[in-house]
Amino acid sequence: MAKSITNIKRLEIPKEEQQARDLEEVKEAVSENKDAILKGIKLLNALNETGTLDSAYALSHSKGKALKYIVEEISKDHYAQMLENIPEIVFMLGDLDVKTVRETTARVNEGIKEMNETGAEQKTKIIDLAKALKDPEINRSVTMLMQFLKGMGRE
Amino acid sequence: MLEREHTVVTINGKEYLADPGQNLIDLINSSGENVPQICYNESLGPIQTCDTCVVQVNGEMQRACGLKVEAGMKVQTELPQVQMAQKEALDRILENHELYCTVCDYNNGDCEIHNTMAEFGLEHQSRPFQEKPYNRDDSGSFYRYDPDQCILCGRCVEVCQDVQVNETLTIDWELQQPRVIWDNDVPMDQSSCVNCGQCSTVCPCNAMMEKGMEGEAGFLTDQEPGLLKSMIELTKKVETGYGPLFAVSDSEAAMREERIKKTKTVCTYCGVGCSFDVWTKDRQILKVEPNAESPANGIATCVKGKFGWDYVNSEKRLTKPLIRRGESFEEVEWDEAISYVAERLTEIKETKGADDLGFISSSKATNEESYLMQKLSRQIIGTNNVDNCSRYCQSPATKGLFRTVGHGGDSGSIDDIAKADLVITIGSNTAESHPVLASRIKRSQKLFGQKLFVFDLRKHEMATRADRFYQPKSGTDLVWLSAVSKYILDQGLEDQQFIEEWVNDFNAYRESLEPYTLEYASELTGIPREEIIQVAEEIAGTDKVSICWAMGVTQHMKGSDTSTAISNLLLLTGNYRREGCGAYPLRGHNNVQGCSDFGSMPNFFPGYEETTDDQVRSRYEKEWNCTIPKEPGKDNHQMIEAIHDGNLSAMYVIGEDTGIVDANINYVTSAFEKLDLFIVQDLFFTKTAEYADVVLPAVPSLEKEGTFTNTERRIQRLYKSLDPLPGSKPDWEILQLIARELGGSWNYQHPSEIMAEAAGLAPLFAGVTYERLEGYNSLQWPVAEDGTDEPLLFQNGFPFEDGKARFFPLEFELEYDTTEEYDLHVNNGRLLEHFHEGNMTYKVEGIARKTPNPFVEVSPELARERSLREGAEIKLISPAGEATGTVTVTDRVRGKELFIPMSANGKSAVNFLTDNRVDKDTNTPAYKEIAVRMEVLKKEGKSPIPSNNHRKGSPVPQISVNVENKWERADYVFPGDQVNKDG
Repeated sequence: MAKSITNIKRLEIPKEEQQARDLEEVKEAVSENKDAILKGIKLLNALNETGTLDSAYALSHSKGKALKYIVEEISKDHYAQMLENIPEIVFMLGDLDVKTVRETTARVNEGIKEMNETGAEQKTKIIDLAKALKDPEINRSVTMLMQFLKGMGRE
Repeated sequence: MLEREHTVVTINGKEYLADPGQNLIDLINSSGENVPQICYNESLGPIQTCDTCVVQVNGEMQRACGLKVEAGMKVQTELPQVQMAQKEALDRILENHELYCTVCDYNNGDCEIHNTMAEFGLEHQSRPFQEKPYNRDDSGSFYRYDPDQCILCGRCVEVCQDVQVNETLTIDWELQQPRVIWDNDVPMDQSSCVNCGQCSTVCPCNAMMEKGMEGEAGFLTDQEPGLLKSMIELTKKVETGYGPLFAVSDSEAAMREERIKKTKTVCTYCGVGCSFDVWTKDRQILKVEPNAESPANGIATCVKGKFGWDYVNSEKRLTKPLIRRGESFEEVEWDEAISYVAERLTEIKETKGADDLGFISSSKATNEESYLMQKLSRQIIGTNNVDNCSRYCQSPATKGLFRTVGHGGDSGSIDDIAKADLVITIGSNTAESHPVLASRIKRSQKLFGQKLFVFDLRKHEMATRADRFYQPKSGTDLVWLSAVSKYILDQGLEDQQFIEEWVNDFNAYRESLEPYTLEYASELTGIPREEIIQVAEEIAGTDKVSICWAMGVTQHMKGSDTSTAISNLLLLTGNYRREGCGAYPLRGHNNVQGCSDFGSMPNFFPGYEETTDDQVRSRYEKEWNCTIPKEPGKDNHQMIEAIHDGNLSAMYVIGEDTGIVDANINYVTSAFEKLDLFIVQDLFFTKTAEYADVVLPAVPSLEKEGTFTNTERRIQRLYKSLDPLPGSKPDWEILQLIARELGGSWNYQHPSEIMAEAAGLAPLFAGVTYERLEGYNSLQWPVAEDGTDEPLLFQNGFPFEDGKARFFPLEFELEYDTTEEYDLHVNNGRLLEHFHEGNMTYKVEGIARKTPNPFVEVSPELARERSLREGAEIKLISPAGEATGTVTVTDRVRGKELFIPMSANGKSAVNFLTDNRVDKDTNTPAYKEIAVRMEVLKKEGKSPIPSNNHRKGSPVPQISVNVENKWERADYVFPGDQVNKDG
């Protein structure tokens, strides 16, 4: 003789019992993943020692806010040029002939070295220039510069 | 003349064989050439709005999707001017659509704009994105429209007009800035939109998007609108050129794969058996994504399958077993519940015998679970008292088909219904009860000249669309069916050759039709004589006829006989064994078919083998190591009677709110009160559970694996999208725990092992394996051992000894009518948006806000006669009980007919009114035969149907998207012409 009833007495699992169950579950997980967890501890340790952990903690706590500040800040006009430059620089790297640039850079470095060895007060006359063109090193540089100017001016 | 069946087409100098009439873009796609295409989708066909598939055909630039192949066609896809025209078209799309992929919720690897631009290698946009002067439409329950992101491809319109055929969406090409509009440009929430969600499924981008996805799918998309806007701006600044933008957003999309799980499942609502992927993030359901490969539905869904899943995460889910102690239930641990159940079952079996126990399976549960329930009943307990809830709906149809053609299922597939020249529906509110299947009929009728005849009491959507609509008097379908058959015979219009070759008992049938003269039929059914003749001539004169029927036929005292009459008529006219023909009893629940197929029936083992067959029984006895009684057990209805008679004292019911859905609930619930042991297994604490001694918390379909069998006899796998809610268990696991506690040596690790056992025992499923059902693969029974299935039945004859079907003679006597005292007839049925008693769908917030209340439909005539208006309160009284409800006045019903949705619960529940009448052959309750009288409690009030219900909208039918109107706009130039002009 079962009449319709709607009362339900909830099963109250004592707090200690629930904790014990949870602990059991965690223990199992720990034992199954021992290696990963030990490595994880090392990683945490390393992050802690460098102070990264504190920063990461603070950042994840205020992730929404931080993102907002960053986005708002870098959306300002004076960053526009910089932001546009980022991908432009990437493209530039793609376009540059790095091998040649490296060779040229080596030459530029040589030039700087030579330049620094010479006193700044020394003067050069037209006649010195004409003479200098006879120096094969100077002549090579001037020729290169003239070729460069030609290439740069090309449409 | 084989060579004429193929057409040779040259693409970029290479020759290809095309099928005649093939769309050119399909040929190009299969050739491996790469042509961009955004509006084109194979499931929808060409729409011709996006212009991106421009190619050169015989020297002229044209849209590939707008052409059919012709012999000798020369196609160029790579010429510079072709590429320029394609780029122009793509540029126009990007004028309409802002690319901020990384912070877009649609960036899941399947954005068709993103992918098309990336594949084309579009690096820069020639013209900037233009904002549009419209706000987002967020007014609906389930999806939203963002005009700013809309590229006006018109896929949503195509799917709404011609696939779903709800005819709500159009694009207004007359506007200065065209956009998608709902009805005559009202907010979507106020429109005729039924929320089938297909527009959001087919949208190639984030313009029409499921609300469940918003702010959830991406890692960076869950931001306040202002911040999101800044981030969009920022994204555009940083990602100059599309290359880097795609690289960043592709990486983000790849990260999402890790977090969003996509699991194939089969819908748990009606018998159509739609399958789709469910996208979940932890326990959250983001969206449902159908797949062109879904065998029953393709890309289609209805509101329940697409959006009706909130119940899964309802707070009302049971998570602990309950045991009745004194005046309340106590939550207990599983161990305690299982040993309690086992003890009590044993005790009753030992004191009163096995036949004092009864088992009712759920047609919402899986095939494997139905199999285990009958195994528990037969092997462990030792009784055939096992049945399922198809007893409430479709047993009569099965009976009618067994009598005549030998298989109790649809003769073909949904594709066959779509291919028929004439579809007749009888007693089926198809558009609301089987929405996705109804859409196939609606599409065939709208686009391909299919004829639709509807026989129903109620002028529902299919009736308003029908070429002819008849309203026979309730319960008299058998009469007009027989009169039509008789007329066909009298005129010699029957398919003599088919009958001779394939059907027995012709003479007895012919004689049995004698009484069904046109005059008699016309008098009983109320259909004029001439119209019966017209129907007969149409059926006889049409090549392919399919008949669909549902509860309006089966839930009558003559339900089995009427189903038989349908099958007789189909045999008479040779409408079996061919594509596009046959009998389609539309199954109601997701697994009505499978639950009976897998043996939860008092007289059948799995695969419809009789318990009385000694050979069959010994097969099971040997496998299960037990003795099984020979005589059939009690069905649902007999079990309830037996309780009242003191012959049944324990019952175990899975997933069925019997206390609401069975007829004459006062009688049923008073039976529950008499039980010594009542075990109820469900997701929720149902009305039925209130009478239980033990309640066991089960899980919904998304939390388990198994198979369902749809109305097409199609067996499909569902995979586990979510883990069971802690504390609840899949039905099969619960059944196994009980069986083991009772000493059974069950040891199933996975449902596939249960299927393997069933397939090994039941010849009907011999070749069914989980491997063959992998992913979107499916099998339509019977399945031979080598895995061959039968989408179209009876190709090798009918499953009788001589391979022939049988005519089954019938008699008719009118047993039900309204009377002077009970002068109104109550009809009942489903609503589109609520499933049955609504215990799942009322928990879906978006549905409940649009359809919050039950109602009683009253005809304008009756309302006038009783001085009622919209919102009136009435009480209906039948000899069995009474119910109260709120009135809506509508011409969907006429005269003295009333309609109450099945989702009406509480005091409106229709089953307070139904009585113990049943179909004489199957004991299915005659739910549709209720005579009542009405008392008016209040003459008018607030309408029970809110203004944002789709029933109050105004659809705008048209074919496709009217792209010609776009082409005629002054500001439109075809990209091909533009390129030619610009040089």
